Amino acid sequence: MEEITYTQAINELEELVKKMQAPDCSIDNLSQYTKRSKELLDLCRRRLTTTDTELKNILEGMTD
Amino acid sequence: MISQSIQAIPLSQYNARIRNAVAVAPDLQGQWVLAETSDVSVRRGHCYLELVEKQADTGVTVAKVGAVIWANTFASLNARFQAVTGANFGTGMKVMVRVNANFHEQYGLKLVVTDINPEFTIGDMERQRREILTRLQREGLIERNRQLPWPTVPQRIAVVSAAGAAGYGDFMNQLRNNPYGLQFYTCLFQAMMQGANTVPSVLAALQRIEEVIDLFDCVVIIRGGGATTDLNSFDNYELARRIAEFAKPVIVGIGHERDVTVLDYVAAMRVKTPTAAAEWLIGRGSDALSHLNELRHAIVTTARDLVTRSREQLAYYTSFIPAAARRIVDTGRLRLDNLTQAIPQAVSNRLASEHTRLGHTVELMQNAIAGHIERQQLRLAALTDKVTLLSPQNTLSRGYALVKRGERCVTDAAHLGTGEHIVIQMRDGSVNAQVN
Repeated sequence: MEEITYTQAINELEELVKKMQAPDCSIDNLSQYTKRSKELLDLCRRRLTTTDTELKNILEGMTD
Repeated sequence: MISQSIQAIPLSQYNARIRNAVAVAPDLQGQWVLAETSDVSVRRGHCYLELVEKQADTGVTVAKVGAVIWANTFASLNARFQAVTGANFGTGMKVMVRVNANFHEQYGLKLVVTDINPEFTIGDMERQRREILTRLQREGLIERNRQLPWPTVPQRIAVVSAAGAAGYGDFMNQLRNNPYGLQFYTCLFQAMMQGANTVPSVLAALQRIEEVIDLFDCVVIIRGGGATTDLNSFDNYELARRIAEFAKPVIVGIGHERDVTVLDYVAAMRVKTPTAAAEWLIGRGSDALSHLNELRHAIVTTARDLVTRSREQLAYYTSFIPAAARRIVDTGRLRLDNLTQAIPQAVSNRLASEHTRLGHTVELMQNAIAGHIERQQLRLAALTDKVTLLSPQNTLSRGYALVKRGERCVTDAAHLGTGEHIVIQMRDGSVNAQVN
């Protein structure tokens, strides 16, 4: 789950929205879809706003 | 001995003569001269330099002289030069300068620059820039960096700048204090951003970045802050080519409000200031956050709609099913009632018809029986007549007699032997007889 890139996550999200908006979307799939979208949304948001300490340390160590 | 016969003067006197000759020579004073600058340095406000002339095709120096711009004129000349060309007066520039020749007994010949025509320099810089751009175009490099794909949000940024520069500070502050809580990871690769060593220094920084290129999403080359805007060194083919061919998108923020350098043509993104570079990056991040919000909204709305729709469907069935069931029960009941009424009627109809049918049958049977009896009676009567007609008594009455031997009738005369006793029966009795 954590291995996918931001772009992959966004693409999957858009795919999910499309599926959910399709007229033949069954309520049976709904909880699965919403659960997955929440995971992906959280992942994306985390990527943008939460510090990746490991990366931060690597780059700080490299600064001239 | 010799010194007494030859008239000699001290060097200072001789040099004084040169000084005077130079000072009064009309075509040496106030003359506009075309040259290239070299070894420009500013000390205590005075600008010292060499003016050289090189052969256009070979680059070999064909003329050279030391020059100076005294502090009182340099300040205003440089300001005007900067304003027009966007560059500090410096080394390696083609210049048109107005000079006075000045010979000093102690320091020798020096040209004193009293005026500069910046239009000439800008024309030359423009020509150089055009040449570089034409070459990059020809080599297919102009679009190369611009065509690299950007990650959705570039967060890992290699920064090429001078550590203490105000522009770098602005950039970092802007990124750190972005209002969206976006995280950026920066790493500074120091370079000199002005002066003669700018190009090799920036090239070296880019080389260091390339060695760890996978750690980064993009490169930001920034400088600025303060008044110094020496862009001339960035109009450089080597540097432009390096940026064009760089493996990650490069943002160039070395700008000047009005002017551009060749780097602006090859970089994936050109911004005017370091702050603008940071704003651009933050903009991409905030766009991504907005997009996430839109997606979240779409998901929530869609899910809610779907639930609502399903609930409505359920409600429909909830109300529909009892009504349908009731209708079914009612229909059944009605049918039952109909049947309840219909059955006795049908039964009685049926009984009546059976009754009729039965009556009919009885009648038929009676008729048949009567007919039969009648027929049997007629038959019996006929038989009686026949019996009466055929009875022996009747025959006997008509004069016939029966011959018996014992109890048995004898019908053939041949069956009787002589002497046999027989009985002859007649209408009113019998007599015994013997055959002769």
